[in-house]
Amino acid sequence: MDMITIPAVNMTPILPEIFLSVLAMALLLINVFIPSGQKSYLGYISFVGVVAAGVLVGAGWGAPVESFSGSVVQDNFATFFKIIFLLSAGLAILISDQYMEREGCNHGELYPLILFTVVGMMLMAAGTDLMTIFLGLEVMSVALYVLAGFNRANLKSNEAGLKYFLLGSFSTGFLLYGMALTYGATGTTRIAKIAAIVGQMTVPSANIMLVAGMLLMLTGFAFKVAAAPFHMWTPDVYEGAPTPMTAFMSAGPKAAGFAALLRIFLVALPTLQVEWSQLLWVLAVLTMTVGNITALRQDNIKRMLAYSSIAHAGYALVGFAAGNGTGAAGILFYMLSYTFMNIGAFAVIILIGKKGEANGTVMDFAGLGFKQPALAVAMSVFLFSLAGIPPTAGFIGKFYLFSSAVQKGYIWLAVIGVLNSAASVYYYLRVMVYMYMKEPTEDFEWTRITPPIALSLLISVAGTLIPGIVPSVILQFAEQAVKLI
Amino acid sequence: MMADPHLLTILVFFPLAGCLLVLPVWKRPAAARPLALGVMTGELLLALWLYASWQGLAALKPILPGYLLVEDAPWIGAFGIRYTLGLDGISLLMVMLTAFSFCVALAVSWRAIGEKVGLFLALLLAMETGIMGVFLALDLALFYLFWEVMLIPMFFLIGIWGHGRHIYSTVKFFLFTMFGSLLMLLAIIALHLLHAQQSGVATFGLHQLIATRLPAGTQLWLFGAFFLAFAIKFPLFPLHTWLPDAHTDAPTAGSVILAGLLLKTGSYGLLRFGYPLFPQAAQTLTPLFYTLAIAGIIYASLVAFAQEDMKRLIAYSSIGHMGYVAIGIAAWQPVALSGSIIQMANHGVTTGALFAMVGMLDERAHTREIGAFGGLWGKIPLWSFFFLLFSMASVGLPGLNNFVGEFLVLSGTFTKSPLAAGLAFTGIVLTLVYTVRLVQEVVFQTERKPLPLADLDRREICLLALLALLVILMGVHPAPLLDLIHGPVKILVGGAP
Amino acid sequence: MENLNSYLIVSAILFSIGTIGVLTRKNAIVIFMCIELMLNAVNLTFVALSRHLGNLDGQIFVFFVMTVAAAEAAVGLALMIAFYNNKESIDVEDINIMKW
Repeated sequence: MDMITIPAVNMTPILPEIFLSVLAMALLLINVFIPSGQKSYLGYISFVGVVAAGVLVGAGWGAPVESFSGSVVQDNFATFFKIIFLLSAGLAILISDQYMEREGCNHGELYPLILFTVVGMMLMAAGTDLMTIFLGLEVMSVALYVLAGFNRANLKSNEAGLKYFLLGSFSTGFLLYGMALTYGATGTTRIAKIAAIVGQMTVPSANIMLVAGMLLMLTGFAFKVAAAPFHMWTPDVYEGAPTPMTAFMSAGPKAAGFAALLRIFLVALPTLQVEWSQLLWVLAVLTMTVGNITALRQDNIKRMLAYSSIAHAGYALVGFAAGNGTGAAGILFYMLSYTFMNIGAFAVIILIGKKGEANGTVMDFAGLGFKQPALAVAMSVFLFSLAGIPPTAGFIGKFYLFSSAVQKGYIWLAVIGVLNSAASVYYYLRVMVYMYMKEPTEDFEWTRITPPIALSLLISVAGTLIPGIVPSVILQFAEQAVKLI
Repeated sequence: MMADPHLLTILVFFPLAGCLLVLPVWKRPAAARPLALGVMTGELLLALWLYASWQGLAALKPILPGYLLVEDAPWIGAFGIRYTLGLDGISLLMVMLTAFSFCVALAVSWRAIGEKVGLFLALLLAMETGIMGVFLALDLALFYLFWEVMLIPMFFLIGIWGHGRHIYSTVKFFLFTMFGSLLMLLAIIALHLLHAQQSGVATFGLHQLIATRLPAGTQLWLFGAFFLAFAIKFPLFPLHTWLPDAHTDAPTAGSVILAGLLLKTGSYGLLRFGYPLFPQAAQTLTPLFYTLAIAGIIYASLVAFAQEDMKRLIAYSSIGHMGYVAIGIAAWQPVALSGSIIQMANHGVTTGALFAMVGMLDERAHTREIGAFGGLWGKIPLWSFFFLLFSMASVGLPGLNNFVGEFLVLSGTFTKSPLAAGLAFTGIVLTLVYTVRLVQEVVFQTERKPLPLADLDRREICLLALLALLVILMGVHPAPLLDLIHGPVKILVGGAP
Repeated sequence: MENLNSYLIVSAILFSIGTIGVLTRKNAIVIFMCIELMLNAVNLTFVALSRHLGNLDGQIFVFFVMTVAAAEAAVGLALMIAFYNNKESIDVEDINIMKW
């Protein structure tokens, strides 16, 4: 047995995490003293906190710094993902306020929970040890279960929370078992050491324990990023959860899942790439196709976007299957742009919705184009981006991902990808058809746009259009971020 | 190129700037209409000025041989995508056609569009930017960007201001074109990567990519993807089914643009990108191309004969006319190719005029049913006169514009493939049959329904007179246009520029 | 070595029992207990491997898993109570207002 040595601890790499945790706990305490009509202030404070954390994270761009004897690292890869998480959290906080007031929720606890989720996601991206990644994943998940079921009075939300909890912890079991077997095969949980040991094996694919561990970890993460055939929970949870949380869940946690996947598979198991990239090939095709085909016949817009988010995970998996630098950078870019376009679309859905999650179908968008032109234009931008039509970020992202597949020689994967993309255009267009080409069915009652949600729309539109027209800067960041991997 | 005042950038983005100007006043037609008119006229004047000075520009010898003006700047460094625009004789002809067609579209919708006028004009202007971009881009990624961007305004144009089953038509139109163009995007990416592998240079520039050496099989696949995208736009039989629907249900301005310009982007893309990039593959597929084009001509003519809706009839005649353009490209021979290019411009003018005229009739009678009219010669003689003129032009009457294009195409093709030329010639006879039927039923028959019709007003007369002048001018004196495209055509056919 | 294998086999069996339980049982609490069984099967694997490999990483991992499982239990039971308040049932067959 080793002697236990207390390692030298450098706190700077996890400074943002510490800051956010302390802030979240403080908010929980403050929440007690704030009267129920004024919980929005907690939202404003946490938004400022997220921005501050963003500054802290951004300051860490540059050479990697390891800490906690190599179980956490502050590198550009982690930093890029942390920015995505903070963006998704910041936007989710901005769009929550109006929704929660309308639904009559006591939303004081919402904001600390969002912050805890972010802490978990950040640990997932920064973790270089299976233990840290697991811990981050669970901090994120436990908070997310509550967020999905946050609207306690609403049965749909209850169902979403419970379902998410049961299936989420079920998938955690698989992930953990996979980690255990990987540990058994290599004798360590450090990602760098796993890579070294697996690299020394003559035929790593002959090591049954290692391969089983890899498969189980892949299954666990496939659940988390909602890849088919492990996607069944997604539509229900996304439909039932409070809309701002659906927006959040489809952006941040999904990106976190990809961060951990990329870190584990590209850094720890590159020698098994032949094996896992074939699996991912199949997984990507299934995920894209199932997501898009099912989305075609949805009338509930949240459910439609849930299936579309499955499809988008599939596009990201295309880049992952390619497993090269282009693919990884493509995933980073795509997750960033998806955060903007998807949360933006959900913000519009919140504004269309009525109390008790009413007005949630595609038909309820009828006539929006001329009643609320600015909002409809914003929605069109998001939808065109989701459909991957230039000049939007969604197009550049898909361009990136599909070129990585072509580069790798997976021509058919890319062909299936673009065909899927063409099919997806149909259901995005359908919303636009209702917005611009149909008359509103009943008297169009308009809820007012509050400043926070207006700000979130503004940020989302900018984040969708600007990278579509001048993507160079973000592309450079993404490429630097994956250089170490 | 020191003194280059970014003319091409202005040419592309001036309409977009106009669009942004129109948007704030979109609820006030009285302000939006003159603004849009000003922008479109300005654009036309710029295009005409470029035409007037093309020989001077050619003497300056810019970076790329055969081009009059070139602009080049880095855009997305990570992929090697550059902002490259280039103007040669062919693009200049297309640019003039574009600027002109948009003026026509604006004129025909001056009163026809009564609702949401500002938005309509903004979309027209946005589309003008997209189409200009398609005709000028020399970087494949940039080309693809404009190619997609021009679809979006068209989607709304048909969807919002269309009639009949307009939503079905516009979604069909969008999905068809998206489907083809996405595969082309993959082919573009693949070509880019193959080139990068060979030369180590990441580029999407047309003139760099032409140098890529490709194995025959790969070339065939890539050309197939390009061909599919362009054939859908063209539209070649059997990929044409979106066109009659889109034309029938589109507002008149939409039909004018669709027939005049969007179809041309398909043929332009094929001759600018498809053939030069993949010459061997194009050679291999030539028989198929001929077959589809001739099948299209004959099929479209037969179907046109059975149409009752005038707009639908003209839409089918469009497919037929574009078939000649296709044959001329398939022959890939200087005379035939010049004919094709001239025919592209001719068809834009003639068919645009016919759509505009049917639109005018529809505004008055609220029907386009052939059976509803008859004896219009006696009732609205001016309209009837112009309709007769444009119909004759469309048939290819010597002295009018289409004759020049078709004659060049057929005589050029004859040297390559007498069979194809012969079969295509029968198409002309068929065209004659259905056009004569149309004119006979609408203009000459005795009146069938007493419709209260007013003859053309001054705005309409001006517009049609201008179009008629063009039809005649291009018919009797096509030499200046042929001179304009002569150089670029020789470069195209002669191999890599 | 034989020792390790038997531990691994036992934990694999436990894990499978848990998995099958999750897939077949109807009561949310029982499902949750099955998930706990899965987690504990993994714990057993970790401890056995840790002992066999002679390093402590696996045992440390087990502490994390236990802590996390406790937190999950707290949240999960709370969610079940909220659901029960609305629906008077925790049978997963009753989680049905949306399509599964």
